[in-house]
Amino acid sequence: MDKKVPRSNIIETEIPMGTVHPAALEPYRVRFFVEDEIVQEAEITIGVNHRGIERIMEGLPVEKANALTEKICGICSNSHIWNSCRTAEMGLGIEITERAKYIRVIMGELERLHSHFLYLAHGCEVLSHETFSMRVFYLREIVMELLAMIGGNRVQYGCSVLGGVRPRCDLDEAKLLRLKNDMDALEEGLTGFVERFLGDSIVMSRITGIGVLPQKQAIELAVTGPTLRATGVARDLRTTMFEYDDFDYNVITQPDGDVKSNLVMRALESFESIKIIRQAIANIPEGKVVNRDWEMVDMDMTESYIEVPRGTLYHSYALESGRVRHCIIRTPSMANIGAMQYACIGDQITDAQLCIVQCDPCFTCTDRAIEIIRR
Amino acid sequence: MFGNTIIDSVVAVILTVLVCFVISTLLPGIERKYIHARIQQRIGPIVIAPGIMAPIKFMFKENVKVSSPVPGLYKALPIICFIVVLCVLVALTPEAYKIPALSSLVAVVGFLKVEEICYVLMGALSKSVMSVRMPFPDKIKGAAHNNSNLSFIEDISSRRSLRMITYGSFPLYLALFAPITAARSIFLQDIVAYQQMNGPFLFTVSGGIAAIVFFIGYMIILNEYPFSIIKAKSDVIEGPYMEYAAKYRSIVYLTRGFFMFVLGCVFSVLFIGVPPTIMSLGFLVNVLVALIFVFLMGIFSAFAPVFTNRQLLPTILGTTLLGILAIVLGLL
Repeated sequence: MDKKVPRSNIIETEIPMGTVHPAALEPYRVRFFVEDEIVQEAEITIGVNHRGIERIMEGLPVEKANALTEKICGICSNSHIWNSCRTAEMGLGIEITERAKYIRVIMGELERLHSHFLYLAHGCEVLSHETFSMRVFYLREIVMELLAMIGGNRVQYGCSVLGGVRPRCDLDEAKLLRLKNDMDALEEGLTGFVERFLGDSIVMSRITGIGVLPQKQAIELAVTGPTLRATGVARDLRTTMFEYDDFDYNVITQPDGDVKSNLVMRALESFESIKIIRQAIANIPEGKVVNRDWEMVDMDMTESYIEVPRGTLYHSYALESGRVRHCIIRTPSMANIGAMQYACIGDQITDAQLCIVQCDPCFTCTDRAIEIIRR
Repeated sequence: MFGNTIIDSVVAVILTVLVCFVISTLLPGIERKYIHARIQQRIGPIVIAPGIMAPIKFMFKENVKVSSPVPGLYKALPIICFIVVLCVLVALTPEAYKIPALSSLVAVVGFLKVEEICYVLMGALSKSVMSVRMPFPDKIKGAAHNNSNLSFIEDISSRRSLRMITYGSFPLYLALFAPITAARSIFLQDIVAYQQMNGPFLFTVSGGIAAIVFFIGYMIILNEYPFSIIKAKSDVIEGPYMEYAAKYRSIVYLTRGFFMFVLGCVFSVLFIGVPPTIMSLGFLVNVLVALIFVFLMGIFSAFAPVFTNRQLLPTILGTTLLGILAIVLGLL
């Protein structure tokens, strides 16, 4: 029996939080309905920072539209431009070079590392454990510097272009050596952090059994990415992406679907990302980084799904005379945030924000979308 | 002659209070710069920033209109808290021993209780914009419940403060009463005199256990991590202090540092037998104890997440049992 059925008939008190709350760092609004500090029901409202990026993309040349997708998110900007380019490449039949494929994977995994580290740091911050939070931020700094080395910026790297990657993002020997050394340092630092974190009994008592999202509900609510894998479902879109065919890695899962599982899940997944980057460094092929040998033609509606740090990212659009039509983008947070309404039921209100941020939500990513309710 | 004695006593108390206040403004900075920042491997603020520069800055800021049903009382509460802490310090000075009603443990406990009650009132009287209702967007977006009772996040904080009064600060008061078992008197003069003759209560088994209980109670009453549930950032944010700005925020900051020092003095008097007065070198003991407490508190708070009720209740229960053990051992 589902123990977390919203008890709508006994709503006692509403505690609204937001649209700005320091625990979330991004604009959203949540109404908690509580009885004696226990959350009985929650309502999350997004859409307070609507920017209409898909509408702006309408009619833009595809290269410009691709660049614009980076602006959707400050954390997974590379994922957006990668998937946007991938959509056109699939529709136009553009083959990307092998070297570009490897560089895209390296960038994707570096972005996963920095996103997961940000998540771990933010999780610790919401727990009010500043020391752990700071230590993860120091580790993340290594990744941010590597991203800046390759892309020229700490965010918005502009790495992917149609047919491959930008020539300035090519990796020479010196960059590959630094990547290799920094992966060693990162692994050592992360191992130390994970041991310390898992060994802290007070922290464990704060996060174990909190914000449980059972596997059945996670599947019903279309949860994606690490949040789904934290409920025990081994579903990772990277296993179906041709870019990852050459790489050996494990799909990490955790059994409980609670805050602990989510945090541990991402920490362990970070080790897999380091493993993938090491393989990419060791086996990166020689050759060009971009294929310019393609022609712009009209393209029917094309869809592309990729696995990004927070789950499944969807991009689709058509091309007419090289211009984007009917663009739709769906970020993983769209599904995951909704599920968190369920996850926080039954927990104390002090843990409620923790339960919501356990899905690693990105509200500004998600706030491009607008739902029109027709009555 | 009698008049001169009174004037001397008043001057001594005023000077002691002033020196204590000046030293206390450095304590928040010491905690943040030399403990939190060192542990977290960052530079941290300059030492005088949290306790001196921030209050001065806030003192000269333009005040905002307080969102409270009783703004006058709400704004008066930080001042009341400061006065209460001041009274505790005055009660601890040897000059106050001439007024038994003031220099007794009952008076000290009473003052501390008033300080705790102020948090309840602050929380109940603060109605910040952080929990404002948005009925129109809620209805438009299909909210299931449109007519439920509204509770501000500060209301939660207020209720938590009330719980802390009823059981949260219990360990501290047990620890305060532990020295009575040795001195057999509730008057500070007797407690100090007993320890000057028989050595510090701290160095007895009962005193050692009570000192641990006192330290935990010290962190609880200062609302320091991990016991900061009344101002947990994850839900109630700043809790009772939410609406304080400008000079009122400044007083809140000053009171916190001052309270840290005064609680150190309470410990010096009850567990070491050294009252705070600048007329004696023993005053250095007071300063040293205050610093040790700040260092220990900084270390503990840097390595613990905020406790929810699930962790708080067992911790308080365990500490209370320790406090009872200290009293029982003291009576044996």
